[in-house]
Amino acid sequence: MAGLTLRNVGKSYGALQIMQGLNLDIHDGEFLVLVGPSGCGKSTLLRMIAGLEDITDGTIAIGGKVVNDLPASRRELSMVFQSYALYPHMTVAKNLAFGLQNFRMPRSEVERRVAEAARILQIEPLMDRKPRQLSGGQKQRVAIGRAIVREPKLFLFDEPLSNLDAELRVQMRAELASLYARLGTTMIYVTHDQVEAMTMASRIVVLRAGKIEQVGTPQELYTRPQNLFVAGFIGSPKINMLAAEVRADGERSLARVAGFADFALPGLATRDSRLTLCVRPGALHVGGGEVASEGTIRLVEYLGNETLLHVALASGQVLLASIYGQASYRAGQTVPVGFDLADLHYFDASGQRLEPEMPAPVPAQAVSGSA
Amino acid sequence: MSLDDATRLAHDLKLRRLRRERNGRLMKHAFLIGVSCIMLYPLLWLLSASLKPENEIFGNIELWPSAFQFQNYTKGWHALPESFTIFYVNSTIVTVLSVIGNLLSCSFAAYAFARLRFTGRNFFFALMMMTLMIPYHVVLIPQYVQFLQLGWVDTYLPLVVPRFLASDTFFIFLMVQFFRQLPRELDEAAMIDGCSPFKIYWAIILPLSLPAMGTAAIFSFIWVWEDFLAPLIYLNDIKSYTVPLALRLFLDQEGQSAYGQMFAMSVLSLVPVVIFFVLFQKLIVRGIATSGMK
Amino acid sequence: MKRFIARNAPGYIFLLPWFLGFFLLALGPILASLYLSFTRYDMVNAPRWIGLGNYEYMFMRDRRFWKALEVTFHYVVLAVPARLVMALAVAMLLDKGLRSIGLYRAIFYLPSLLGASIAIAILWRQLFDANGVVNQALASLGIQGPEWLTNPDTSLYTLVVLAMWQFGSPMLIFLAGLRGIPRDLYEAAEIDGTPRWRQFTRITLPLLAPVIFFNLVLQTIDAFKTFSSAFIISNGTGAPADSMLFYTVYLFNEAFKFFRMGYASALAWVLLIIIAIFTAAAFLTSKYWVHYENERD
Repeated sequence: MAGLTLRNVGKSYGALQIMQGLNLDIHDGEFLVLVGPSGCGKSTLLRMIAGLEDITDGTIAIGGKVVNDLPASRRELSMVFQSYALYPHMTVAKNLAFGLQNFRMPRSEVERRVAEAARILQIEPLMDRKPRQLSGGQKQRVAIGRAIVREPKLFLFDEPLSNLDAELRVQMRAELASLYARLGTTMIYVTHDQVEAMTMASRIVVLRAGKIEQVGTPQELYTRPQNLFVAGFIGSPKINMLAAEVRADGERSLARVAGFADFALPGLATRDSRLTLCVRPGALHVGGGEVASEGTIRLVEYLGNETLLHVALASGQVLLASIYGQASYRAGQTVPVGFDLADLHYFDASGQRLEPEMPAPVPAQAVSGSA
Repeated sequence: MSLDDATRLAHDLKLRRLRRERNGRLMKHAFLIGVSCIMLYPLLWLLSASLKPENEIFGNIELWPSAFQFQNYTKGWHALPESFTIFYVNSTIVTVLSVIGNLLSCSFAAYAFARLRFTGRNFFFALMMMTLMIPYHVVLIPQYVQFLQLGWVDTYLPLVVPRFLASDTFFIFLMVQFFRQLPRELDEAAMIDGCSPFKIYWAIILPLSLPAMGTAAIFSFIWVWEDFLAPLIYLNDIKSYTVPLALRLFLDQEGQSAYGQMFAMSVLSLVPVVIFFVLFQKLIVRGIATSGMK
Repeated sequence: MKRFIARNAPGYIFLLPWFLGFFLLALGPILASLYLSFTRYDMVNAPRWIGLGNYEYMFMRDRRFWKALEVTFHYVVLAVPARLVMALAVAMLLDKGLRSIGLYRAIFYLPSLLGASIAIAILWRQLFDANGVVNQALASLGIQGPEWLTNPDTSLYTLVVLAMWQFGSPMLIFLAGLRGIPRDLYEAAEIDGTPRWRQFTRITLPLLAPVIFFNLVLQTIDAFKTFSSAFIISNGTGAPADSMLFYTVYLFNEAFKFFRMGYASALAWVLLIIIAIFTAAAFLTSKYWVHYENERD
C-alpha cells in the first residue's frame, strides 16, 4: 500500500499541451475517483500514473519513490481496463497467473494467490473457461481478479463498469466498494459517471481540459463547489444558475435577478457587479421561498420518489425544481417559485466560489438529495 | 369478399415473386456452373493429358483417356538427367526456409509498425509501402552482382536469405493490418503484467494472430513454390534445380515427344498448391479480403 | 538521450531485419542500378561511365525497346480491364441471393493461385497450339482457328486470355467490397422502383469506387511485371516477331543472356519510373474520380 504524489505533472503531444502543472496528493488507502467530461484528461492521467503514457514534465512518486522512468511493470500497481483486456487465448486461471509467472514467482505462491482471488470473487467454477465463454459480469470479475492477485500497492480502474448493463453496474459497484473495504489498498478510479464517483469515492478529483477544478469529498463537492464548473457537473438533476447584477445600496448590496424582485445579499468579498447564483433543484421551492417570483410549469417529470418540474420564468429562463414524491402539478399551471438565501451558492464573474461572510447553514435535504 | 380477393391477390403476387426469384436463381446457377466448367476445363485437360497415350494428347478435346498411362508419371519422374526426387527436395528446402524467414522477419517488422512507438515510425512505414510497388526487375541486377561477389550464386542463399530480411513486404502489410485490429489494451495489460516488448509479441500478439500467420504462411509457400525468375537466375547446376526449373527442361527437350511425361510432372508440381488451397481455403479467401481492404 | 534510447530501442530492434533488407536489398540496389544505368558493364570488366549513352540509345535508336513498351502497354490495356470486368461481373453474381457460393468462389479463385506456375504456362502453350484444344473447339463450331502462337497478330491474346482466366483475387476483393454496401440502400431503391441498371450505376459503382481503384492500381502494377508466362510461352525470346517481347523479358535477356548489365539497368529504371508515374497519377486523380461518383449520388 502506498500513497501517490503528482508534482507539476505536464503532458504534451508535440506542441499540443494537454496537461500542465498538475499537483495532487493521494493518501495511502484512499479511494480516489477522477471524474470529468470526456476529453478532460482523466484517462490520460490514469495512464500516466500507470506508466502507459510518458509524462513530459514534473514527477510522479508512488510511496515516496519517484517512478517517472520506471516501466509500468515495476510500479507495483495493477489496472482494470474498460474493455477488461483479458487475454482471449488463455483460460481464466492462466489469465490470473500470467502476470505472476512473468515475475518469476514460485509456483506454490502463484497457485495460492490465484485460488485466493478466485474465492474472493467467486469465480472458482470458471477457472478453465476462455474469456469468450464468460458473460460481461464474469469478465469483469476476472479482470478484477487479475488485478488483485498481484497484491499491488495501487489499483487503477479505467471506467471498469461502463460496459455493463445498468443492473449489473449497480451490483458490481457494491462489490467493488466491499472489495475496497476488505483490501484497504489505495485505489484510483476513473469514471464519467458521477453516481459512481459520489457513491464510492473517499475523495473526488474533478478534471476539465487537463486541469484540476476541485478535489474533495463527495459532500464537499456537492455542498461547497469551488467553481461554476463543479457546481454544474456534480449533482443530478443539474443545478440552477441565475445571472445576477449587484449594486451597492448604502451599507448593503442589492442583487437583481431577471424575473425576481431585488433582494439584499450577504456580505461577499468581491468587487464584481455580475455574479452567478446557483441553487440546487431540491432547494428551489415551488410555492414560496425568501426570494420568490412566478413561473409557468412547462413539463412535469414523475420519477417515482421525486417529481421534476420545469418552471419557466417571465424572463424565459427555465428552472428545475425537484419535489419529493408525487406532486399534483400539471403543465401550463402558473406557480410561485423561489429560494432561500441560505441555499444559494455565489460565484464571481470568473466563476470562482464566494463565501458569504455569515455562512448560511446547509439544508439537510441538499445532501440526501444526491444520486 | 373484397378483403378475401385482396388476400388472394397478395398471395398470388407473392407466389409469383417467389417463382421469379427461384427462376432467377436457377439461371444464375446455370450460368455459374457454365463458367465453372470453362474455368476448370484447362486444369482437367492437363490432368487427362498427363494420363493419355502420346497420340491422343493433341487434337483431342475429350477428357477421358482411352487407356490410362500411369507410366507417364513413373517415367516422367526419371525423364530428366536428375530424378524429380532431387528437384522436390530442393524445392522443399527453399520453400520451407523461405516461409520460416518470411514469417519471422515480417511479423517482427509488422509488430514494430503496428504496436510499438518509436521516432520515425510513420516515415519508415511509408518507405515500406513504397517498396511494395518496386518491381523485382529493378533490384535484380545489382542484387545479382552483389550475390555473385559474395559467392552465393548457385546456392540457395540468394533465394532464402532475403526472406529473413523481410524482403516480401506484402506480408508485412498483411500482418500490420491484422495486428492493428487487436485491442491495444491487451498490450497494456501485458505491460503491467510484466511483459517485455518481445514477450508481448511472443505470448500475446502471435498466438492471437494465428489466422494472419497462417494466411501469410500459405501465400508465401505457394509463391515461393511457384517462383521461377529468381531460381532461373541464381541456380545453374541441374542438381540444385527447383521443380519449376526442371519443368522448363522438358520444353528444351521438345521434339523428343515426351508430352505425357511433361504433363504428368506439371500436374505433380501443382499438387502441393492444390492441397494447400483445399485445406486452407478459408484462410486464403479471408487473407485476400483483409489485405485488400483497409 | 538515455530516455530516447529506452523509448525507441524495442521498435528499432524489431525492425532490424527489415532495415537490413531495406538497405541491402531495396535502397542500395536501386541506387546501384541508377549508377549502372550510366555505365557499360558486362560483369567481366569494371563498369565504364558513358553518361546518358544508354538512355540515348534506348530512346533514339533501340527499336526493340519501343516494341517492348508497345507490347507491354498493349497487354496492360487489354488484360487489366478484361480481368477487372470479369471479376466484378462474377462477384456481383455471387454476391446476391445465392447460398453455397463457397464452391464457386473456390473454383474461380483456384486459377489465380496456379496461374503463376510454370506448369500452367506449359499447359497454355499446348492449349493454343495450332492443333491444340482451343482450335479443336473452334473447329467443332466450324471456325478455322489461327496458329495462335506462331502468328504475331494473335500471340499476345493467348496471354490476355490467361490473364482473364486468373480473375480470382480481384473477384475476392470485389466480393468483400460488395458485402460492405448496406443492403437497405438497394431495398430503398427497389421500393422507389429504380431499375436494376440504375441501381448498378447509382449505388454499386459509386460505393465500390475505392475498391475498383485499389484493384486497378494493383492489377496494373502486376500486369507491368508479367514475366514467367510470357517467358515460357515465347520460348524465352519474346517471339514470334517480338510480339510477346514483354518489357521484363527484354530486360531479362539484355541482362542475363547478353550481359549488357548497364543497359539493362537503364531499362529497369525506366520501368520503375513508368510504374511510379502510373501509380502517382492514379493516386492524384483518385480523389477526383473516386469522389466524383459519390457526389453525383
